[in-house]
Amino acid sequence: MARMNNTLWNRYKYKLNVLIILLPFYFIYQSLTPEPLESWPAKKIASFEVTPMPDNFDPPYFHDDHYTKDFSLTFTQGKVSNIRQAYLNIGKEPIALSTLEAGNEGILHGSQHGQEAHAISPKVLKATDKVWLTIADWQGHHVITSWDLPQALLP
Amino acid sequence: MAKLSNRFWFQLHGWFSLPIWLIFCFVCLTGTIAVVSHELTWLTNSAARASNPDNLTEKTMPELIAIVEQTYPSAKVSTAMSFESYLVNAIIFTDSDKPFAIAYVNQYTGEIQEINQGITFISFMRSLHAWLLFPWQNSYSIGYYLVCAMAVVMLGALITGLVIYKNFWRSFTRPKLRLTQGKKTLLTDLHKLSGVWSMWFLLLMSLTGLWYLLQAILWHNNIEIEAHPPLVKIEQLPLVGSEPPVRPVTLPDALTIAEQRFPDFKASYITPPEHNRDTYKLYGEGDFIFFDQYSYGVIINPWTGAIESERSPTKMNTLQTLSHITSPLHYGNIGGLYTKIIWFLFGVLLTGMSITGFLMWGNRTLKASSRNKIFTENLATENTRQALTQQEVS
Repeated sequence: MARMNNTLWNRYKYKLNVLIILLPFYFIYQSLTPEPLESWPAKKIASFEVTPMPDNFDPPYFHDDHYTKDFSLTFTQGKVSNIRQAYLNIGKEPIALSTLEAGNEGILHGSQHGQEAHAISPKVLKATDKVWLTIADWQGHHVITSWDLPQALLP
Repeated sequence: MAKLSNRFWFQLHGWFSLPIWLIFCFVCLTGTIAVVSHELTWLTNSAARASNPDNLTEKTMPELIAIVEQTYPSAKVSTAMSFESYLVNAIIFTDSDKPFAIAYVNQYTGEIQEINQGITFISFMRSLHAWLLFPWQNSYSIGYYLVCAMAVVMLGALITGLVIYKNFWRSFTRPKLRLTQGKKTLLTDLHKLSGVWSMWFLLLMSLTGLWYLLQAILWHNNIEIEAHPPLVKIEQLPLVGSEPPVRPVTLPDALTIAEQRFPDFKASYITPPEHNRDTYKLYGEGDFIFFDQYSYGVIINPWTGAIESERSPTKMNTLQTLSHITSPLHYGNIGGLYTKIIWFLFGVLLTGMSITGFLMWGNRTLKASSRNKIFTENLATENTRQALTQQEVS
């Protein structure tokens, strides 16, 4: 004969089932109304004007043997096709181009309508860290600019 | 060894199935719909149909990409995908006024039949089924784990169900469905009959689900099943004047190279380079029936035309093989539309079994609780009567 003990689990297990099934609807709503992120100031670098924006306020995550933080970058001036290679990293200093180009982390990718980068990052962000953008052109020159980390990204 | 009682197995069967029966039912239902999501799209959206009244030859994916780029000159195509022959190709692109758009291009006529800037029914159903739309925390999703865990539950329910149902093979030789002997008998017959006839399907879904669970654990722990394609070495990028150079190898060239490498190659997923050190990535299907439509792949250097890496069933290790044979077995597209229909029907049976199982348990529990209630009431009445009698005597 089936018999049920009046435990918390037995009382609420089906309500929990219903809650989990309802959660996708909440997640749809959440994805349709994303959390607004503050735009960073645009910076001029060579012939380009760039505005970076982190994809979220989450701390850096571990992926492919290093910590990374995802960014979107808008080029309001300059042609993306004029970039031979570009990289984004977070730290006290920019990583040397010779080091960056030896690997594949932090490289900018996308189109004229929007670039993305999985920025090379330390595990924990500090107030002294900056976001460094290194852009190399087809003549072999490269330029670097940086942005301070906003308070919202710091732990 | 002490023999386990039927009661124990029955309880175990319930423990596997009942606590999560509603989520299980939802996962089965969404999976069943996901199996035929391509066909439902074909039925409900005429712009997704690849009609070919004039019997035209199918255009290549690079040709379809070129059509989109001609129509939207400032567009940048990021991905091209092909599906069944009766569905259009999807060319995914961005443009100045379109952050994300999918062009539905008829691969026979070359006509752009729709620009979809939202989510498709196919990807919605797959996402809802596979991770219940729970957000991804970079390398894992709680929803994905939750759905994969159903494989353990399903396998447990299958094994315990077969232990409880003695001589289950009689459902093959003498199937029994008594319609006129009450609700309880009908539910029991339905549950047992569908369970036995779906044995192969339950086992297949459990095993493929267990693979998805293992895959989720590997992803979560950053263990690569397939290595990332290598990037172009910086030395291979020319240093020129002020004007950016044109890549010497075009996408049609890359497709030709892929077809030369694998003569049966049929492209199903193509991504042009996303930056100057990126490669052409061409994935497709070949002549291996059980492998998915991405089991062949050629990664081509756009500056030299060299094949930087490749994939094919013959060169896959065990994990790679499992990752490429699971999806066709789980979603039933190994044999095209016919197997999809079979998977859909058994998906309906499985969804139904979770409902009949719960109803059977509900009937028993309700009956047991009403019996307990009557017993308790009778006991209380008897106690009161005895107390009164004792009072009268004293």
